[in-house]
Amino acid sequence: MAFLDNSGDIILDAVLTDLGRKRMSQGNFKITKYAFGDDEVDYSLYNYNHASGAAYYDLEIMQTPIFEAFASSDAGINYGLSSYSSTDMLYLPTMKMNETTNDQAVQMTGSIVYLAANTETATALKASTALGDSKYFLKSGETDGYSVILETGLDTTDLAATQANRSSYLVSNNLVDSTFTISFDNRFISSVATPTAGSRFTNNSRGDDKVKMTLSAARSVSSKTGKSNTSTAIAKGISNTVYKTAGTSVSDTAVSSFSGPRASATSLNFSVLSGLDTETGGTLSSKFASYGKTSVDTFGDGNTYATITTTITVEGDTTGTTTEIPVTIIARQT
Amino acid sequence: MSVKNFESLNTNTDTTTTRTLLHEAIPLTGAIVSGTYGQEASEDNVKNFTHGMFQSVYDYPYLSSSANHIFDITMGYHSTSPFSSSASEQNAKKINMYNEFAQVLLGYTGSANDIEIFESDLDFGDNDNQMKSCYFINFSRLLTKDQIKKGTFNLVLSTGSWAQGITAPSFPSGPNITLTDVSASATAGTNTKGNGGEYGVLYNNDFPNGTGYGLVFYQAGIAIITSSVWDTVAQNPGAANFYRRHADGFVQSISGAFTGSAISASCDALRHRMCNISFNNTTEINSSIYFCRASHNKFNYSTNPSYVSGSKIRVKQIATDNPVTYITTIGLYNSSNELLAVAKLSEPLKKTPENELTLRVRLDY
Repeated sequence: MAFLDNSGDIILDAVLTDLGRKRMSQGNFKITKYAFGDDEVDYSLYNYNHASGAAYYDLEIMQTPIFEAFASSDAGINYGLSSYSSTDMLYLPTMKMNETTNDQAVQMTGSIVYLAANTETATALKASTALGDSKYFLKSGETDGYSVILETGLDTTDLAATQANRSSYLVSNNLVDSTFTISFDNRFISSVATPTAGSRFTNNSRGDDKVKMTLSAARSVSSKTGKSNTSTAIAKGISNTVYKTAGTSVSDTAVSSFSGPRASATSLNFSVLSGLDTETGGTLSSKFASYGKTSVDTFGDGNTYATITTTITVEGDTTGTTTEIPVTIIARQT
Repeated sequence: MSVKNFESLNTNTDTTTTRTLLHEAIPLTGAIVSGTYGQEASEDNVKNFTHGMFQSVYDYPYLSSSANHIFDITMGYHSTSPFSSSASEQNAKKINMYNEFAQVLLGYTGSANDIEIFESDLDFGDNDNQMKSCYFINFSRLLTKDQIKKGTFNLVLSTGSWAQGITAPSFPSGPNITLTDVSASATAGTNTKGNGGEYGVLYNNDFPNGTGYGLVFYQAGIAIITSSVWDTVAQNPGAANFYRRHADGFVQSISGAFTGSAISASCDALRHRMCNISFNNTTEINSSIYFCRASHNKFNYSTNPSYVSGSKIRVKQIATDNPVTYITTIGLYNSSNELLAVAKLSEPLKKTPENELTLRVRLDY
């Protein structure tokens, strides 16, 4: 995949994707819409302090070399451009993993989330010195334990997390995600548990944590993503009404990961694919050796584990804000 | 991750189709056809078959994966040709070859459905100028693509005597004859009969003063040369030496090549008389053009993670600054949001609420 020649006129290099060729062979190739992307652009190169003035702020961005078009439908546009009617928005929501709310949010260990493949492994992890608590791992398929809690909101201290700011900066600009798309590797994960409609993500007027996320199996799982080994599930977005209230004893940031106005939240747990959940008496799936590690004394306590690390991608369906969660599937071997 | 903001294409205003004819010049020098990769009867770029019906010519030794097939060559005559005789070498195969070309390219005639006979003119009704003994050159689709461009075919053949100081693998010395489809153009000078598509006449001189010595079928990519090119003494003072076999110096006339030689040997003789072949090919490109419009109030924000620092948009200092994005990619999708085609700009294109862009994406088929 070479760069395009950018020394002369602007040219447009167009190719059919592998999926486009497939659809053509099936006789149902019909283009009905388009979108724009800017994957190559690093907006941090936008330089307000350029000595030559405003015309040069984007000099480095405009000099970005662009790759040739390539045929994989996996990677055509990762980050699309968005349309909002308002031109005076200064903030856009981002997504963060919540590790603060009470008795609900799983904690990362280092930079990963452990997913115990079976009950035996969960018991061993809880007993290990390194983890020692259920809040440091997910248990495959569990809907009433710890889960990955994700929030969207404005990651800024410039704006107070008040109801008024939530309304004016987020709700009125259509920046609240009512659903999220979870993409996962279907070689390792079979399904995703997502919040029920009765879930809530809020605090009360005294600042107390009133978060209660209840999970059930995702409404739908689709493997027709156009991406290799990838399935998606849809998770409900719960209104994130954790507000900052003056004079409360409990800080709003003790409940939420954001300092600014919050938009929505969701929570997730995962079920490992059948075969990866075999306990020590059974035959360990060969996938652990093919895609991960086996017989590793992960926590230095004499128990050995097999692991596979995979990435879960969560994307807000309205705003397109995205986060990736590294999940290590772990199964006890001895 | 996927795209969330799509714009619909209006089939009336945002899409159109075009047809473009692309031409390439194809020069084939005689040295490639004979002489470069060995001497006749054992040339590495010439493939003969046990059936002996034709030979294939490549631009490189054909056992190499780098070799490209450039044309096949064969010969034959009609059953009423003077050459047709049970005593002739491969008599049945030569008749079969002639009939195969004639029935495919010209079809049949009369109530008895007789196979049509080639003529070196455009009028098949008069049954004159018939070519009953011919060489056939079938060009590879790699060279002709969709068709040979009318009015561009040029074949230079040696008509001199092989005995006039010529040693293989060199070409016989002159005189040469240049056959061109000079009368043919996109709008005139061609005819159609049967399923072979359009054809033009190969003249040895400027039309209409020249004499027709063959035909070129443009869509089929086949040139047909009558044996009479070498019959006329005025053009061929050494007619008796049409072919001089390298191995033993055996010589024969054109009639000897058609009656006394196998097809492969006769094809060897013709190849060594090819000085130059050139034509322009034609590729028909059908294109769909999609006009992808970014109006002033669309696509002014990005989901690119680097677009924000924390949550603050990097390209704005204050809220009233215009948002800016830089387009590098256009994705074309179906109704199921499947990415069917992708186009890349050679440099980022600035998009703000102050401008509108129309990007023209062309897909060729």
